Amino acid sequence: MALALLPAVVEAVYLRDKIPWNARVAESDLVDVATARGWGANVTWIDARPADEFERDHIPGAVSLNEDSWSEGLARFLGNEWLPEKKIVVYCSAASCNLAEDVARRLRKEAKLPNEIRILKGGWEAWQAKK
Amino acid sequence: MKRVVAILIGGLFVYAGIVKVIDPVEFARDIDNYKMLNWSTSVWLSLYLPWLEILCGLALITRVLYRGSVFMVTGLMSLFIVASIVAKARGLDVSCGCFGHASTYLSFSWHLALDFLLLGGLLFLWKRPLPATS
Repeated sequence: MALALLPAVVEAVYLRDKIPWNARVAESDLVDVATARGWGANVTWIDARPADEFERDHIPGAVSLNEDSWSEGLARFLGNEWLPEKKIVVYCSAASCNLAEDVARRLRKEAKLPNEIRILKGGWEAWQAKK
Repeated sequence: MKRVVAILIGGLFVYAGIVKVIDPVEFARDIDNYKMLNWSTSVWLSLYLPWLEILCGLALITRVLYRGSVFMVTGLMSLFIVASIVAKARGLDVSCGCFGHASTYLSFSWHLALDFLLLGGLLFLWKRPLPATS
């Protein structure tokens, strides 16, 4: 067991600047409801919840893009709704869900979008609470 | 037969460890998804566990520190199976992240079947350990 500690510590030191030590999502990647609303028309909302939850209700103007149908959803989004100059805010159901984080990460890493991409703090629950 | 099982399981653990060493943050997220530990603990485990898997896998293949490695890997597998079942019972939709993106699309049932198969192989090695090389 102790033998594995050495390479782990070396890796920790090597990657010290790339690892988010204190929180799963960096504070700079989050945005609260009030700030995102303040951006007005300069924001594209992405709903990362499952399609049935999106159908039930969603933030006005939001686009459904989730991991259940990622390829088709992304192609549709890039073809119809994506604008390079707009900020993108991704949300899921609540602060405890990880779907928004996953979608935001894939938009950055896989789709390589140049937009400023943020995750809505508190998700859909926070939006509804401040409606 | 025992030798083949040891090499197969050892190779699998080396592969699983390497995949996670490449992207520890992704593995930390996978651990965090189980919602059993705080983030900092998940990060440290994501740095430590892959190396433990690699070393144990190499030990199974080379037969150096063999018995300790069988014990360690059996413990890890058992712990992982329990954590997976508890997470499922709590309604958490977790990807184990065991083999990076290769395992993302496996269903929970397939994950569990694979885990029990590995555990069976380890118990086989545990009951009938290989003799030490030296």
